[in-house]
Order: sequence, then C-alpha cells, then structure tokens
Amino acid sequence: MGADASDLSLVRRVQRGERGAYDLLVLKYQHKVVKLVMRYLRNPADAEDVAQEAFVKAYRALPQFRGDSAFYTWLYRIAINTAKNALAARDRNPVSYELDLQNQDDSSDMISRLKDPETPEGLALTEEIRDTVNHAIEELPEDLRTAIVLRELEGMSYEEIAASMDCPVGTVRSRIFRAREAIDRRLREVFDGGLGRTEELV
Amino acid sequence: MIQDEVESQLSAMFDGELPVTECELLSRRIDRDENLRARWSRYALIGAAMRSEPVATAPSGFARRVTAALYGDDKSRRQRGGRTMFLSVAVSATMVVTVAGLSISLLRDAAVVARGGDATQAAAAPVRAGAALQAVSAHAGVLAAPAVAAIRRGSNGEPVSYVTPASIANPNTALRTELADFIVAHSEYSTPLMRRNLLSALVSNEDAADNASAGVGAAGAPASSAPGAFDASSAASASSH
Repeated sequence: MGADASDLSLVRRVQRGERGAYDLLVLKYQHKVVKLVMRYLRNPADAEDVAQEAFVKAYRALPQFRGDSAFYTWLYRIAINTAKNALAARDRNPVSYELDLQNQDDSSDMISRLKDPETPEGLALTEEIRDTVNHAIEELPEDLRTAIVLRELEGMSYEEIAASMDCPVGTVRSRIFRAREAIDRRLREVFDGGLGRTEELV
Repeated sequence: MIQDEVESQLSAMFDGELPVTECELLSRRIDRDENLRARWSRYALIGAAMRSEPVATAPSGFARRVTAALYGDDKSRRQRGGRTMFLSVAVSATMVVTVAGLSISLLRDAAVVARGGDATQAAAAPVRAGAALQAVSAHAGVLAAPAVAAIRRGSNGEPVSYVTPASIANPNTALRTELADFIVAHSEYSTPLMRRNLLSALVSNEDAADNASAGVGAAGAPASSAPGAFDASSAASASSH
C-alpha cells in the first residue's frame, strides 16, 4: 500500500465516523500545511490560524471526498484557497496592522517576519532535521536503508518491497520499523538538544 | 517488548499496512499516548526530509487545537441539540397534556349535550330533583294531609312507596314542572319507554288534579287509588338502570 493508499485508508475510517483517524491525518500533514500556508501569510501566528482553518474545512468536506486524487493533493488545494481568502480578507481590512504598528516591539517583530518568512530558528531547525535524517539513513544497515528508501522515496507497498528484496512481508515491516526507530532516535536528540522540543510536534 | 510491538504497529499503520481491526485499537491508544502521537508526527517529518520536501515543525499543540476546534464544535452542537431536544420534549409534553385536558373537557360537554342538557343543567339536576321532592313533601304536608296519612309504610316505619297526592285542592303548576324536570334530569338513566311511561303518568296525574280542582273528583281520596298515581319509587328504580 502506497502513501496515497494509506491516507485513503485513514480517510475511509474518518468517513466511517472514526475521529481518531482524522487526528492522525492532522498529525501527519500539519508540518507540510503550516509550511505551505507560511508561503502566503508569512506571519507564523496567522499561518497557524489559517492552517487550522484549512484542516477544519477539510474535515467538514471529507464526506464528499471520493478519493479521485490523493488526500494531500486535495488538502493542499483547500489550504491554498484558505490562505488566499485570508490574504484577501487581510487586504480588505488592513486596520489591524496599523494598530499593530503603534506597538513598537510587535511592529518590529512583524516587519522582520514579513521580510524573512523563515525565522532563523526555523531555518536552523529545518537544516538540522534534514542533516540528521540524512546522516541517520547513511548509518543504517543496507537492508534497513533499502527498505525505508523504497517505502518513502519510491512509495512502494510492503508487498512490492518484499518482492523486490525477496523476503517476507513481515520482514519488510520489521526492517522499515527498525529503520524509522534508528532515524527517530537521532531526531529526538535534536529536539531534546534545544532546537526544538518533542512535544512541539504533537 | 509490548511497547516495541505497539511501535511496530504504529510504523505499519503509518504506511497503511496494518489490518483495520488493529488500526482501530491502535488509534484509541494513540489518542491517549502523547509519545505515540509525537512519534507518528516525527515519522511524517522523516519522510518529508528524505523527499527533500519543505520541512517545518508545526506549533506546539497544533493538532490538539484542530481537534478541539472540530470536536469542541460538535460537543457544543450536541449540547445545544440536547437543550433543544429537552425544550422540544417539554413543549410537546405540555401541549399533549393541554390537548388531552381540552379533549376530556370537550368530550364531557359533548356527552352532556348529547344527553339533552348542558353541564350546568347536569350539575343542577340533582339539586332541582331534591327541591322537587321537598316540594312534594311540603305539598303533601300542607295541602294534602289526608293523602300523606294514606302513605303505606313498611314494618320499620319507612314508606313502602312515595305517592304523590291524587287530589290536590289547589294544584300547583310549579310543582308539576319541577316533577317534569326531575324526570328529564334523570332521563339519561332511563330507557325511552320508561321515560314515556313516567311522563304519561305525570300527565294523567295532572288531569286527575285538574278534575279534582273542578269538583269532579273527591277531595281527600286516597292517593294510592288515584288512576294516575305517580310512584316516585318507580322513578328511582328507573334511574337505577
């Protein structure tokens, strides 16, 4: 089962009334959606609000989702539209920004954010995450690295990976889990080391 | 060991490779376990970093806020719905009770009307009947003492039957009207035939009284011998039907 199929499985569970399944979709795509919305709104606080609104809209529209496209593609469109609407609303009502400018500290913070959508902390964290993951993958044993690469980069199902690696599906499942555990262990060290906190991801 | 198995299941579920039944159980566990939630979220970050997708960490508690926004809405909607339902039930119950009360009242009125009188008449009927009997007694005592003396009595002194005097020196029209009212008031308990007989007896009694007042009949004749004697006990037995 590919990534799209696994999302569709969660979507079907949500459509059957299993709320926890939507929580898993939010946890899975929250980073991507926040990052996506940040491109439009630049302001992290606004971006968070809009990303939240996008998830709420998606949830309410989910009964109509038929699975013609991938869930993330569908969610992506909703997030983009929500961000554009928020931008249009902000353009129609710029008063709040004028008021914000009266506060020297807030205004300087906002201007710096508008000039640079990526805060230094955010950029550093992003780089740290990428480096950590790449290093962790390089250190993986060959069978684990192959399994996780086929899964995450090629989007192959366990059965396809099993056929490719000539091993049982259970072994593929175990290899992918162990690979993720190894990478995640390194990632937790990054978060615990000060660039971020583990609970921020929840 | 169990935790490893749970985390292995989490990885498989992330890839959509876990059986549905196990997914449901694990989902409930994830909802309670912050470590599993964080791990699930980091798995998403790992994949994004491997694919060189833009990587950003969502703000702290973002998913929980989305959940609260979604299900908090549902909860308040359910509460509103519950309040609305309670009010609906209360209003419905009140309406049912009101309609039932009105229906009973209307049905009673309709029954009374169908029996030939309204509720006021029905309520007044026993009073009127009692007044009529009192009037009979008064007339018997004042106007027809001999007839009263002729009333047959049982061994215990109670009259065997109440007989209106056959000869009344000065027949009182009001008395006859009251007797007629008495019969009508109790007509709901009697058959039409019995009612007709009683009214015939009353009319005959009136005729006899008229004759007496005209000097044709013998004043003070025994009531029991009067041809149109009205036996109240008959009415009483008729009303018992």
